[in-house]
Order: sequence, then structure tokens, then C-alpha cells
Amino acid sequence: MHSPSDETLMAQVRDNDLDQLTPLFERYQGPLFGFLLRLTNDRDTAQDLVQNVFLRVLKYRASYQPTQPFRAWVYQLARHVHADHWQKQPVPAGDLEAAERTPTLRRAALAGVAASSDGEHLQDALALLPAAQREILVLHRFQGFDYAEIGEMLGCSEGTARVKAHRALEALRKIYFS
Amino acid sequence: MLDDKNHLLNPPECAALEPLLADYAARALPPASMAQVAAHLPQCPNCQARVAQYATLLDAFDAEPLALPPLALRDNFLAMLNAEKALLPATATPATPSIEKPPVPMYPPAATSNTALWLRIAASVALLAVGTVLGLLLNRPAAPVVATAPAKEAQTLAAQLTAATQQPATASQRIQLVSDAPGSTRPGDPTVLVLLNTLNADPNPNVRLAAAEALYRLRADSLVGPALIQALPVQTDPNVQITLIELLVKLRDKQAVPQLRRLSQRTDALPAVRDQARQGVSLLI
Repeated sequence: MHSPSDETLMAQVRDNDLDQLTPLFERYQGPLFGFLLRLTNDRDTAQDLVQNVFLRVLKYRASYQPTQPFRAWVYQLARHVHADHWQKQPVPAGDLEAAERTPTLRRAALAGVAASSDGEHLQDALALLPAAQREILVLHRFQGFDYAEIGEMLGCSEGTARVKAHRALEALRKIYFS
Repeated sequence: MLDDKNHLLNPPECAALEPLLADYAARALPPASMAQVAAHLPQCPNCQARVAQYATLLDAFDAEPLALPPLALRDNFLAMLNAEKALLPATATPATPSIEKPPVPMYPPAATSNTALWLRIAASVALLAVGTVLGLLLNRPAAPVVATAPAKEAQTLAAQLTAATQQPATASQRIQLVSDAPGSTRPGDPTVLVLLNTLNADPNPNVRLAAAEALYRLRADSLVGPALIQALPVQTDPNVQITLIELLVKLRDKQAVPQLRRLSQRTDALPAVRDQARQGVSLLI
């Protein structure tokens, strides 16, 4: 049995057949939850943000172009939802960067991390990255976007996206192994 | 811990290959580059260690369990979807025929917009005979609280009816429509009148039967009981007659007894119908 493509379903949603959003929800709630969980490191927040993403899909449905891959569009919405949430957080990304540049402070911050299991170790290390770098790594390593797709999302070339991803992985390596 | 400082003093080859190490660990380099790095590694413990670290990181990424969303997420999504659907204008749903927007309701939106919508669909598929319903609607005394709403609805309904007699609906469409009638109405709601007219005037017995049942669902309206009783002598289809008898018995309406008695004695009624009527009388007395 042939199941309709994401783009077909979203085109129907755009034409006010809102029930067609439900199969899209089933397809994307898992990956989006994982994406937002890895960005925020908090299940409740991730749940709220996923809800927000689908609300925006509904509210902005008129702006969806069926020629655009739905996956890229919904992740772009997710990135914006996360960015809006991040701006309301008490700890801005800038403080984290400053902390990382000072090895002593960084090691002190990681003192608790060393004792935890590998899985948590990765998530904790990711949490210490600046938001932009964390986002690139999650998009590439967890959500499976390639550099060309990431470039489109970030508004840069594929080559630039590749370089950014490398820098992010390098930064992660330093945190993880220090 | 990796000694970054020393590594920077190593041959420029390390510096040149450094950007490739992560992709080497991921086996994501073109073959020529893979070979290049592979050739360099045996001579360089620092680069080897770095590759090993990247490999560990990549494994950690792969080992991350799938994050499963909580069940509440779906419930919240569906609630949000329903809320958004409720905001759509009635004309926006693809399945129903194109209809006018309903007038601003006086009752809580959920109850009246459903009713208003049903009435409009009923009108547009010519469920009703024009004259009778119009007469009933205009002559009926409205309950004090709800004076404005039925009048407004009657006007729109009348307009629809004039336009609608051009399109006859099939019997099964009419049955479906009657079955979809709202299950509860406020006093003064014209739905009951529409259904009554259907019960009395629709040419198809199955449609009349569906109308009788739909009316039973609306038995809270004071019109229904007497109307069902009045329908008894009028109906000739045995299925409709028997259904009416059953419904009147369920209603426990003693005022039905005289008509039931008459029916039990009619020579043009089937024996089964006469039996049923007789039984109804005995149950109600």
C-alpha cells in the first residue's frame, strides 16, 4: 500500500484539511522530540517545544510550498522554536563560551561529568557547547541531515556548513576528553 | 590526556591532515584521502590518539538511545488540532457542500453552530417541502428568551429552501442527513420542525423512519411527543407504524392511548401492526 508523501499531506493541511497533520505528527514527533531533547537536555521542555512546533505548522500552513521538502521546513520551524525558547533562558550562550575559554573553569564545570556513564557524558558535553555548535552536531549526527541540507537551514554554503560541523566536533572532543 | 601543545610542533603533515581526521574516523573520506591519512597514522601517535577519540565520540553518538516522546504529547497535539479545526469557517471543510456562513448564534457556539449547519445542509439538499416548513416556522410561537435566534434562522432557512428545491437528494442522502441531526436542541430550535415535516411528508418510508428516531432523540422538546402521536393515523408504512408505536411506548406517554387504540382496530393496517398497537395500549395503561 502506498502511503502519501510528507509534501502531499502538508499540501492538504495547507488547504485546510487539518486531519492530514495527524500522520505527519506520527512520523515526526519522535525525531523532533529527540532533536529538541538533545538541544535542551530536558524532557518537559522538549515536549513543550515539540507541541509548539506543530502549533506553528498549523498557524503558518499557508506559507508552506509543496516544492520544499517538508522535513527541512519542519526542522527549520523547530530551530526557530528552540531559538525563541533559548532567548528567554537565564543563561545566555555567551557565558558558556567565556567559561570554555578558561581551561580551569571548564575543568571545574566538568568535575561532576567525569563520574557519569558514557551516554550522559555525551549529553552533558553537548550541553556545554554554545547553542549554535550543539545544533549543528545534533542535526548532523542525530537527525541525519547532510551538510548541504544544514547549509540551507543555516543560510550558508555546504562547504561552510562542513567547516562549522568540524569545528563543533572539535570543540566537543576537547570538552569530552578533558 | 592529549598533549595539544606538542602536537602543534610536529611536522606540517599533521597540521595538513588534521581537518581530515574526524572524517577518517567516520570512514567518510574519498579513497585517496583515506589512504593518505592511513599512511600517516603509523608514524604519529598523536594523530592516532586523536582519531581514536573521534571514533569514541562517533560511537557515543550512535549508542545514544532513541528518545521516545511521552504519551501526553499525542493527547496534547490532538487537543490542539481540534481547537484549530474549530476555528475554521464552516465553509472551509472539504466534505460538505458549499453553504452560507451561519448567523451569529445566541447559544454556546458548539451546540448552535452544529444545529445551524445541519439545518443549512438539510435545506440545501431539499430535505424539506418548502411551503409546510415555512408555515410552521413562521407560525410557531417562540419561547421568550430565544426570540431573535429562530427568526434569523427561519429567514436564512427560507432563503435556502427557495434555492434548494432545484436539487433533489437521494433517499439514502436524506437518511444520512436525518441521522446526523443534532441529538439535543434548545427550545425554539427549528430542527424539530424540520424533522417533523420529514416524518409527515417525505415520500420514502425509510427516511420517515429515520426521522422518527431522530425525533425520539430530541424528545426533551415538548413538540415531539404530541407530534409522534399525531403521526400515527397518518402513516401507512408498517415499518414506520411499528417504530412509532415502539417509540411512544418508550416515551410512556399515556396520551398516545386513544390513537393506539384506533390503530389497533384499523382494517387497512397489517395484523402485525394491529397487534403491536394493542400491546402498546396495554403497556401504557
